[in-house]
Amino acid sequence: MKKFIRTSTLFISILVLPHLLTSLAIDIRSFDHQGFTRIVFEADRSFTYTIQNRPGQMQVHLSDRADFRERTLAVQNSPLLDRVIHEIRGNKSIFTIFFKSDATVQKSFVLEKPFRVVFDFVKSEKPAALPASTPENPEKKPDPPQETQSAPSKPKPIETICIDPGHGGEDLGAIGKSKLQEKDVTLRISHKLKKLIESRTGLRVIMTRDKDSEVSLNTRASIANNQLAQMFISIHANSSFRKSAYGSETYFVSLKATDQESLELAQKENRNLEDPGETIKNDELKMILWNMAQTEYIRESSKLAEYIQNELNELLDTRNRGVKQAPFRVLMRTAMPAVLIETAFISNSREEKKLKSEEFLDKIAFAIYNGISKFIYYYNNILK
Amino acid sequence: MTKKSRTVLLISLAVFFVILLLALLFFRKKPARFEPELLNKADVSGATLTEFVKVKLFYFSETSIYLQPVYREIEVPEIREELYNKFIALLLAGDSGHITPVPEGVALRSLYYLKNKEMLVLDFNDRLSLSFPVGTTAELEFIYFMVDNLCYNFREIKKVKFLIGGNESKTLAGHIDLERPFYPNFNWLKNE
Repeated sequence: MKKFIRTSTLFISILVLPHLLTSLAIDIRSFDHQGFTRIVFEADRSFTYTIQNRPGQMQVHLSDRADFRERTLAVQNSPLLDRVIHEIRGNKSIFTIFFKSDATVQKSFVLEKPFRVVFDFVKSEKPAALPASTPENPEKKPDPPQETQSAPSKPKPIETICIDPGHGGEDLGAIGKSKLQEKDVTLRISHKLKKLIESRTGLRVIMTRDKDSEVSLNTRASIANNQLAQMFISIHANSSFRKSAYGSETYFVSLKATDQESLELAQKENRNLEDPGETIKNDELKMILWNMAQTEYIRESSKLAEYIQNELNELLDTRNRGVKQAPFRVLMRTAMPAVLIETAFISNSREEKKLKSEEFLDKIAFAIYNGISKFIYYYNNILK
Repeated sequence: MTKKSRTVLLISLAVFFVILLLALLFFRKKPARFEPELLNKADVSGATLTEFVKVKLFYFSETSIYLQPVYREIEVPEIREELYNKFIALLLAGDSGHITPVPEGVALRSLYYLKNKEMLVLDFNDRLSLSFPVGTTAELEFIYFMVDNLCYNFREIKKVKFLIGGNESKTLAGHIDLERPFYPNFNWLKNE
């Protein structure tokens, strides 16, 4: 037994000790873009960290001791951030990021190969945490919200819901055997749903279209973001190459696609640093961030999809195709919990017939309304 | 047992479990892929040998939501891209009794393989977007019919990007974002 313990200890020492004794080689860089400043911590291996927000500063507590060449690093050309200070406490490192003005973390994410932790700082909407303004330092009004800032920084109870009737105008959507058009079905369901929500909850409901008009996918997402909607419900009727396919399903955005976006962002960031001649165009970077708007709301979107799908199963008495994920273009760009509901298959003759009946459409609207109500109850409760 | 040896024992156990966990992660089941079988066939005279590859194609059927397997043989050309071309031609040709989730008249204009990205780029003619039966499921059926078949049979293809008429297209028919490449989702395959 003693021999086993001794051998194991030796084995552990060989494996673990060199790793423990070596400090984390870390590099910090920053760059400013219109509307936000990015700070990147790049390390030779992965590490864990915690964040502490304090008035005028943010601390990043690392799980390891970092080997960082400077104690103070000035953040160049940033209207938001001043400097980063490094201190070592025991076996751990703390990096304190000092703000020049009211700043807050809009987004933070981890990238691999090499391991990086990225923080995007934007001007905070509420400067309450900072010292009161003096005549010499008049309180500045926050900048008007930009596209990438459209998500409210602190979640509020749900007050506004955006309903998105799929297709419209020259975009007919799927067409059934008896020429029923998806764009008409989705508009009818949406009107019914709007009426239900407004009359029963008093919440504000906006629609991406309220008549037979063509609206681009980007515009649909923009309408919801600009109106500060807190929920996005896209309504569709399905179609398949398999004529026998039937049932309802609810989608939310898949993460795999957004992982790819993160990777591309990292590659662009790397290129920019390695070759100063090649700069990331602001518009391009903004677009990538914009494409990732939904990533922060995946968990809520999944919950919303689950509530709605459960209600559809209960009320429609059709095949439960379940909650699914896919890279929907219209959902990608929404900065709020967002789902896309495929109510029934217009390509299936039996379901097409059902979709023509007002009674079936009422049932669909009511099921979606029930799902939304349950989600609101769940969401507002988490905020308490 | 002394306090010291108890501590050493506890550390050893902890490390043992960490190593076990790492080993499990390392040897975890990797996504299954088909290893196309190479076959040598003699012609009628027996003078020359032609190399064929056995591939496993998947099609839809009315009775199942999964793609169903069908085996085919393709003569191996000298250029790898030509093999992909032949494979896609087989896919588009369909199989009797099965459903091919591709609208009529759709043809492949060209394809190219980006080795550094391990990505195959497929450029289809305009018929793909003009005659596509709008619908989320239809779009997903087409996308994963192509992506799963290609990635399953050719290890070097990790992702597939679609072009229509030589250009990037936002969506096929208003739902799925077509500007980004697609990774396989073998949950669509029946035997996976």
